[in-house]
Amino acid sequence: MAENKKATVIMHERDIEKTSKLQVVNNVFGTFFRYLFLIIVAVVVLFPFYWMIISSLKTLAEYRLSVPTFWPKQVVWYNYVEAFTAANLGTLFKNTVIVGVVSTILSLVITVLTAFVFARLEFKGKNALFAMLLGTMMIPGELFTITNYETVFRLGWLNTYTVLIVPFLVSVFYVYLLRQSFMQIPDSLYLAAKVDGTSDLKYLWKVMIPLAMPTIISITILKMMGAWNSYMWPNLVARDADMQLITNGLRNAFTEATSGDTNFPVQMAAVALVSIPLFLVFIFFRKYIMKGVSRSGIKG
Amino acid sequence: MVDSKHKWKAWLYLSPALILLAVFTLYPIVNTIRLAFMEDYGMMKALSGATFEFGFGNFEKVVEYRNFTTCLKNTVLLCVLTVPISTVLALLIAVTLNSIGPLRRFLQTIYFLPYVTNSIAIGMVFAAMFNIVGNVSAEPPLITTAGIINNFLGIFGVEPINWINVGSSYWANITVMVIYIVWNALPFKILILLGGLQSINKQYYDAAKVDGTSRARTLWKITVPLLSPMIAYVVITSFMGGFKEYSSIVGIFGETMGPPGNKGAMNTMVGFIYQSLEGQHQGRASAASLILFAIIMAVTLVNLQVSKKKVHY
Amino acid sequence: MKVVLENLTKVFPSRNKKAGEEVVAVNNFSFEIPDGKLIGLLGPSGCGKSTTLYMISGLQKPTSGKIYFGDDDITALSPENRGVGLVFQNYALYPHMTVKQNILFPLQNLKGEDKLSKDDMLKKAYEAAKLVQIDELMDRKPSELSGGQQQRVAIARALVKMPRVLLLDEPLSNLDARLRLQTREEIRRIQRETQITTIFVTHDQEEAMSISDMIVVMKLGVIQQIGAPQDVYDSPENLFVAKFLGTPPINVFDGAIRDGKVYIGEDAVLDAPGVEDQEVYVGIRPEGFELAEDGALHCELRSVEVMGRDVSIVSANAQAHTPVIRSIINADNKVDATQKEVRFNLKAHKTFVFAKERVTWSMANEGKTLYTFNKASQTLNAKYDGKSYDLGVLLTDEDIAKLEKQAKQSLSPVAKFFIKQGKKLLGAAQAKVAPAVELVQSLIPEKPALTGEITYKLAMGKNKEGQTLYFAGGVDNARLCVTSDIQKAVDLHAELVTKVVGEGKKAKTVVEGYNVYYLDGETKVYPEITVANGENHEKRIFL
Repeated sequence: MAENKKATVIMHERDIEKTSKLQVVNNVFGTFFRYLFLIIVAVVVLFPFYWMIISSLKTLAEYRLSVPTFWPKQVVWYNYVEAFTAANLGTLFKNTVIVGVVSTILSLVITVLTAFVFARLEFKGKNALFAMLLGTMMIPGELFTITNYETVFRLGWLNTYTVLIVPFLVSVFYVYLLRQSFMQIPDSLYLAAKVDGTSDLKYLWKVMIPLAMPTIISITILKMMGAWNSYMWPNLVARDADMQLITNGLRNAFTEATSGDTNFPVQMAAVALVSIPLFLVFIFFRKYIMKGVSRSGIKG
Repeated sequence: MVDSKHKWKAWLYLSPALILLAVFTLYPIVNTIRLAFMEDYGMMKALSGATFEFGFGNFEKVVEYRNFTTCLKNTVLLCVLTVPISTVLALLIAVTLNSIGPLRRFLQTIYFLPYVTNSIAIGMVFAAMFNIVGNVSAEPPLITTAGIINNFLGIFGVEPINWINVGSSYWANITVMVIYIVWNALPFKILILLGGLQSINKQYYDAAKVDGTSRARTLWKITVPLLSPMIAYVVITSFMGGFKEYSSIVGIFGETMGPPGNKGAMNTMVGFIYQSLEGQHQGRASAASLILFAIIMAVTLVNLQVSKKKVHY
Repeated sequence: MKVVLENLTKVFPSRNKKAGEEVVAVNNFSFEIPDGKLIGLLGPSGCGKSTTLYMISGLQKPTSGKIYFGDDDITALSPENRGVGLVFQNYALYPHMTVKQNILFPLQNLKGEDKLSKDDMLKKAYEAAKLVQIDELMDRKPSELSGGQQQRVAIARALVKMPRVLLLDEPLSNLDARLRLQTREEIRRIQRETQITTIFVTHDQEEAMSISDMIVVMKLGVIQQIGAPQDVYDSPENLFVAKFLGTPPINVFDGAIRDGKVYIGEDAVLDAPGVEDQEVYVGIRPEGFELAEDGALHCELRSVEVMGRDVSIVSANAQAHTPVIRSIINADNKVDATQKEVRFNLKAHKTFVFAKERVTWSMANEGKTLYTFNKASQTLNAKYDGKSYDLGVLLTDEDIAKLEKQAKQSLSPVAKFFIKQGKKLLGAAQAKVAPAVELVQSLIPEKPALTGEITYKLAMGKNKEGQTLYFAGGVDNARLCVTSDIQKAVDLHAELVTKVVGEGKKAKTVVEGYNVYYLDGETKVYPEITVANGENHEKRIFL
């Protein structure tokens, strides 16, 4: 038996001192290169933001130096003033906030009610209906846009807040997300509430909404961000200068994006003004945004 | 599940959603298909009482249209380039991120930042970074400042490249778009893949460690197969999104969808649909959107088929 | 390969960073494992046995101490350079690989002078598979195998590179009873055939006793006793070891030593010449009783169970720790089951006397005894305002595992997230609606970590009256609450009493104390309840 054992040992003896040293070297180098890689990626990710900010603080002359400066020699703020007036940002902000807030509130009410029905109430054809709604998520939005454009045109909604708010109030996806959260709440709570004579809506308000709060917050933020970032639909149906949303206004104010003599500092100031609210939202709500996104997989 | 005695209540709660969905989601599906088969349909013409014949004319026009082939080519090219690059990069970043201790959360948050930005606004920043200020069409070109990217490449002795200005080449444009789209796509993929990685049982890695598995082999033989459902998910969704690429191009090039003097050079399928729509060719737009839908479906089915064979669960 | 552990210690930093307390999982462990033997590391959950195993494998680094394989100090080597095979509790088979690929995997990793040809690898893989009798299943995926088969694959994967040391973590705990018996024989056979030094971890004493050449009984990170299974059984060094080994378990009585005699109640049962007078525990193995008309120990006869070869007499004694005591005697002895009383003489070599010593929790500030935990029986007693409460037994490993499994199956991560987020809201909702125990159970599976202290975050137990009690650990494990009200336990779980100190930027929240709930429903804020940590309690007194 003993001989047999000797013959079958595969791993050779290690030179312990050499191996331990090699291990340490490997570990140190491994850690070093990992961090190096990650920090390079972080720099690449952050650089455009950095460039945006410092460019917006430079004078045009400094921006156009053939050797770039990485910190403004002279910090100037007038680019922001110019951007604000040039792009008519005041109106754009106002429009976007109105559309964003109203559509988020309405959308939440509808989403909560719909998700509640699909999660808790029972009626014939419920599952078929829900499956059909989910099915519509497969279809690219452009397909809807074509007919919707005609619909809102016929309704005479062009260049109104209504056209920016109403058509996309219901997101099947948010309904799905919230329904999943609602379904996690045990039936027994609902049954007990029924026994006590609690009404559906009261139960929804007192129990389900508080319990599903994280999801609701995620949906709210994503919906707000959606309004802030929406471009295609508003660009189609709200072209009047005083009805434009922020992204359209921004893009349209600086149409000559790549001509040779664009005033980039002003443009960067405008971009910064649009981006900073998003950063603030991200800083305060990143937990909910990241949670919502990791469960959803859509761009807000 | 609980049975409700008052079924009308369920329908009452549902009604706002159902009405909106009926008008703005379900009806458009039917109507858009109808429009696609109405010869030369235009909304204005329809409003003034014109009638349209049934036929395949819209589809023929779309396919024959020279711009459409450009759009299709651009869309497919951007998809085929950006999806693999961003997925592999995101995987490497996620795996590395998952293997470190300190700074992990902090870096994860930084990597997620591009997700919350406005893709048109940041597109304009990228445009500024690639843009050459001066007159590039002059002979020799008059360059005031070559842009930060060219400045950076200059360190390695590269002559300033005309990325997006007048007279820029197709491949220079594509490169800029690929860089921007990948930059934009990374956060989501890193988040999803990192989530997937964290749900892999640590004992597989302990077992691999005891058996002396090298890092590369662990990645390739254990992590990738165990993560394959997530990778498949990420690839499928990014193909679906990639075929709808539009606003990132508007961000960089503006509504002209191309460098100055070369309008539409970077146009995509969605761009084509919008332009048809704005040009009052609703029939053509409908036909194009159906074609886009068919392509997305086909690609998704192929993806699913491939992942069925390659995904290990 | 001989394995030597020298003063091995592992300290985990506390999960609660603010408290800054550390948890000693393995405490000054020294032991020499002879070459080619099968060793069982035995102890209850949280005794540090798995930590010890992982330190031998190299997956965990000892805080101090050394590990030798043969004469080589391999403490600094990483796992892949140690040449160990490790079988995980849940096998950790790669789900995307076939059995063959799983077994080949370690071989394919070999580099340099160890590298094998493809044919050699295949040959070795089939040898290993044959050894554990799974050579028929080589092309299946792990998900297509039964638990027992998966276990064999895991062993084959660990054995295929002929490790110097084979380590098995709870190798049988995921198998059903019938398979356990079969598989443990199998492990014994494989170990005999390969002659590889094998160390396995288990909480099941029967398992350890039946196949080990030597067992190491551990508790709270400290070795209690080492020896051949029979020796440890026959001569336990403390009450814990005595109670941990043997089925049916040893009968324990409160007793005393007076005037050189051992008393149980008023009965002088054994001589103890020269031992000083003191309170003791008397442990008597079931086979340590001898039926006698004039026997020293008086017991109340409850029933007689005939088991063929043996007769089991069930009786009661006021001094016993359990409601009934069980004695096994030869069937030749006729017992009159109608009798009210039964009397026994005790066999001296089956009767053990232990010094009385207990672990207590006391309040750090007041120094009063609040809880007394009998480490041997794992029972807890609370004293408050002169009243004494028996709080019953803590859950066993198996109960915890079962609850964990249940909770895992029934709750998705999303639900867990909700429970965390909505706990406070739930409290309010439940007050109006109804108790929802199913929500609460998910709080239980905070996995008992490898700590030297009580690790239950929230556990269930029953007291002698059958009343269900809940144990809620604090944010760190050094605090403990016991209550019959699950809701309170849940609230408590999240509820430290905190206070804000300082103002403005310097303001910070400090832990002031801890809400403790008592059975009579009273709530009181107490400062931290600290756990007294000791070793080798209830030591044997050799007569």
